[in-house]
Amino acid sequence: MPDSDLAARQRVDVVDRNETAFRIRMRRVKAGLANAWYELRKSRTATIGASMICVLMFLVIFAQSIATHNPVKSNYRERLAPISTEHYMGTDKFGRDIFSRVVIGGQRTVLISIAAVIFGMSIGIPIGILSGFFGGRFDSIVMRITDGFLAFPGLLLYLLIVTVAREYKLQGFWNDAILVFALGFAFWPEVARLSRSTALVEAKKEYVEAARSIGEWRLSIAMGQILPNCISPLIVNATVRLGFMILIIAALSFLGLGTSPPTPDWGSDLRAAQDHLESHPMIAVFPGLAICFSVLAFNLFGDGLRDILDPRLAER
Amino acid sequence: MLIYSINRLLQLIPIVFILTIVVFCFVQALPGDIIDTLSDMESGADPATRALLEKEYGLDQPIYVQYAYWLGDILQGDFGKSLVTRRPVATELLERIPATVYLAGVGILLSLVIAIPLGTIAAVWRNSKTDYAAQVVSLLGISIPEFWFAILCILLFSLHLGLFPSSGYVGPGEDFGLSIWYLVLPAVAIGFRQAAYTTRLTRSSMLDEINKDYVNTARSLGLSERKVIYKYTLRNALIPTVTISGLQFANLLGGTVVLETIFAWPGIGLTIYQAIQLRDYPVIQAGILFLGFKVVLINLLVDLLYRVLNPRVSLG
Repeated sequence: MPDSDLAARQRVDVVDRNETAFRIRMRRVKAGLANAWYELRKSRTATIGASMICVLMFLVIFAQSIATHNPVKSNYRERLAPISTEHYMGTDKFGRDIFSRVVIGGQRTVLISIAAVIFGMSIGIPIGILSGFFGGRFDSIVMRITDGFLAFPGLLLYLLIVTVAREYKLQGFWNDAILVFALGFAFWPEVARLSRSTALVEAKKEYVEAARSIGEWRLSIAMGQILPNCISPLIVNATVRLGFMILIIAALSFLGLGTSPPTPDWGSDLRAAQDHLESHPMIAVFPGLAICFSVLAFNLFGDGLRDILDPRLAER
Repeated sequence: MLIYSINRLLQLIPIVFILTIVVFCFVQALPGDIIDTLSDMESGADPATRALLEKEYGLDQPIYVQYAYWLGDILQGDFGKSLVTRRPVATELLERIPATVYLAGVGILLSLVIAIPLGTIAAVWRNSKTDYAAQVVSLLGISIPEFWFAILCILLFSLHLGLFPSSGYVGPGEDFGLSIWYLVLPAVAIGFRQAAYTTRLTRSSMLDEINKDYVNTARSLGLSERKVIYKYTLRNALIPTVTISGLQFANLLGGTVVLETIFAWPGIGLTIYQAIQLRDYPVIQAGILFLGFKVVLINLLVDLLYRVLNPRVSLG
């Protein structure tokens, strides 16, 4: 049957062509990664930051297996126990293992800040890129709205949203979702401004002209061609922002506006540790060190990344 | 420039208007009955008292009427009475402003005293050990959560060494020496973080200036390196530092909620925090409006200032 034969041959052909395309893509990815690795090793700050982030991510992903005890189970026989091989960081006033609380609480904090950054960027990037690409009246209207949101103070937004959430006694997932919303919503105008200013520059370049001349759809030029070229300042911004988000989450829960007590959380654990500052100062040390470590990781990596991606600034 | 300034001022009106609506709506969205909260402290919640209280606070009116009354009162400077202390909110907040200004002012001064020499030295001796040390310290400074730093300070200087009181406030008018004694720890906690920002800023703007042509000219004229650096370069490099520090000072007014809570410092931040805890609606509203209005004003100031400093920025 020649028909099916032809079909089969075509299928083979398609698979083959796909495979070569795949191979070419893989080679490109490999070259890109090697290049990134080379650049990364040149900048010491970026290397240190990247390794710290790797440690952090390892702890976040395997938090449940790394934690040695149940972080919310109180054990009154072991209240305020010192550091030992049983409790790596001692126990708090309810006899809960601090090491496990720091690890599990960290998982929550880091995941919330990542989600908030992604949420803020997924609103801000399309708005900014499209606004910068289309320009004209669309741009000026969108930017006025963005400016309005930018004028609205972030701290105020967190306080308001989180206070309302606390009053409704939202628990667990919903409480975290509100936090992600508040943090991300305060973040998007900044992202929109940043991506717009880069898109404005990119939109005038030749490759955009070329894409237009072969009749590519405008939306696909904006998202497929311009966006990838605007991504580097956005990545730097997101990295530094991740650290900032962790600081805000900790500060909010330190004020008692985060999660309700039994949930492990760096900020609220620090607040609780204040009761025993005189007799057991070590309780207050570990959650703070954890915050410091993660924020430093993102700041270092962000600084290094900026130097790599924008060599002009590195000379300063 | 004048037209631009007027334009920019007019743009404030809708933003402030939206701010008031948002703040009003958020507080309305809080669940919980004010009357019940009130009655707990006064007589029981029998219907007669309830009606009387509702009438007194205007809670029997529809919401938009409540908003209109509220806005009208605010425009006349009347923010209502605190539900807890039953004193006018405006007096309550105005009384707290000096403490906040005092703390923020001394904190910023302290940060400038640390940061300007450190940033200058780091830039002049670029890539030296001093430079690296300054960079590491300032990176640590922006990564350490200020409340944790404050707790560590209390731990070391107050509980361990007994040098300074761990919390409290004495006005500089009452007893100057004692007032400074109480101020040291909170001011250090603010100053450290601010100094970290300012050091980075001073260093990078100093590096910018050092590479400019006029510096080479000055050197080629045979001026001593000291004179070149301190008389010409530093002066120009300090413009952005001083500008940003001024803005940071404005940001700190009410932006130090966490530190004021830790040190029981009776400023705006502590007032808003306590109001949130006690559900004191009028105080929350007024405090948040104060914060919001302040940020809007700061943004205006930044915009105008950039135009003055850099006339090339388009007045669009």
